[in-house]
Amino acid sequence: MDINFDMTRPLPQTQPWSEKFWEGTRQRKLLVQHCRKCDANIFYPRKFCPECWSAELDWIEASGKARVYMFSTAYDMVEPKFAEDLPYTIAYVDLEEGIRLMTRIVECEPEDIHIDMEVEVVFHELNENFHLPYFKPVKK
Amino acid sequence: MSRGKIAIVGIGEVPTRIMPERTRWDILYDVCMQAVNDSGLGKNDIEAVINVSPQAQPELAAELSFGKLPEVLGFKGCRDTCICNAGGASTSNCIRLAEQYIASGAARSVLIPHATVHSTIAVEDLINFFAQAGVDMQWEYPFGTTYNILMGMMANRYMHETGARAEDMASVVTALRSWAAKDPNSFFYQKKVPTTEMVMASSLLNTPLHKRESNVLCDGGSAMVIVSAADARKMNKPAAYKLGESVRYFSGTPILRDFHKVAEGLSLTGVEAMAEAGVTKEEIDLWNIYMAYSMNHPIMAEALGVAPRGEGARYFAEGRMSFGGDIPWSTIGDAPGRGHTGSGVSTAMYVETARQLMGKAGERQVKDCRYVYQNTAGGSGFNNIGTVWGRSV
Repeated sequence: MDINFDMTRPLPQTQPWSEKFWEGTRQRKLLVQHCRKCDANIFYPRKFCPECWSAELDWIEASGKARVYMFSTAYDMVEPKFAEDLPYTIAYVDLEEGIRLMTRIVECEPEDIHIDMEVEVVFHELNENFHLPYFKPVKK
Repeated sequence: MSRGKIAIVGIGEVPTRIMPERTRWDILYDVCMQAVNDSGLGKNDIEAVINVSPQAQPELAAELSFGKLPEVLGFKGCRDTCICNAGGASTSNCIRLAEQYIASGAARSVLIPHATVHSTIAVEDLINFFAQAGVDMQWEYPFGTTYNILMGMMANRYMHETGARAEDMASVVTALRSWAAKDPNSFFYQKKVPTTEMVMASSLLNTPLHKRESNVLCDGGSAMVIVSAADARKMNKPAAYKLGESVRYFSGTPILRDFHKVAEGLSLTGVEAMAEAGVTKEEIDLWNIYMAYSMNHPIMAEALGVAPRGEGARYFAEGRMSFGGDIPWSTIGDAPGRGHTGSGVSTAMYVETARQLMGKAGERQVKDCRYVYQNTAGGSGFNNIGTVWGRSV
């Protein structure tokens, strides 16, 4: 069977109000959108605050520390464009700033990953414009 | 409020198979004609057609959107047609629309059909569609997530909170396939039911999901005819009456879907739908549960109070939800048992709800089936719609 898989690595499809987040990752900073009016930390970034509809939105720099909320390690049946990375672990992590991100857990064996594990951000360069925030275990 | 306003009076279905030679319009002819004939109405009595939108099949979706089906079937009395897409919750919304058509006088009898043929879609297009549908293209997709991974994460969290064992989780597929093996419309009809050991021995796709727990993409279709409850009673034939409904929206982006809020929503929709129907959970004869993935069934069993907290997976492992068990559950085997037909799994489950209440389910017939609880959910789980159906008002 002749199958023409798209092997292009997908880049984040941004909105004008999320550009600052990606700009931050280029500087090795994990930025969280913050509402100056209602004090909410917001993820994912919006044009208006989803809590109070304020346009007074700003950014704070997160500590980069988080805990694994849930995860799954992939061994097979991912898109061909991601197959070279197998096995890899996708996780939701809870930042100290009270928001939850999807990420990958890296720099450890999959069997060592567990819920509530303490992790910290590292940045994975997709290209010069995009660095994905991955997380690695905190070394005690 | 839904109580006692409409009823399903006719059903049609073709076997779920991998049959590229059977075209989408082949299926639509068959299921529509079956459903209309089963209702006892004539083709020209159908006054509206509300199509369940077929996923990943843009040409058919366009044809149905622009009104082709009533013309093809020769519905001379048809006043209007439309299409509805809410992923796996499409059928529930088609039924709601039918209720409005009927209540407003726009139509007295409404046909709701669905057809899907996955087997003629290019593999790369199928993979591409299911990789991106329901996943955020900025905050999720670039990390390499999949539906399997999303469901695996939920299952891992459930196992962490309840102490459920991987063997117990794997037993859900055994339960679902035990029903499917008795269902002539299932892809797995008369096929060996995998034991828990067989499921566990199959390759690990992503933790804790094994190959035998994943879905097989298939071709299939089904349809139903809906009239007012008053008209159904006059027809003096078996029917399935809609008695109650409740819904909760969770999130469009999976990352914003909190595990506990989802579990709470699954519970609330059940409580509210049964309250509207005026029935208790002890009166429900069949839990016709649509989760698309086996591993989420224990979460639903606990949310509905069918199993005590933390014991949902064990209930499946004990065979209580299997064919012959004491808790009739997903009697077409949900998507893992039926074969996955996109949004069509939920259509097939409504058809099964009606089939059971009409007493037409053959070997799978739940004894003296009076009340069925059925849910659907859209996308990767953006909502949950709980409904209660009865064989009388």
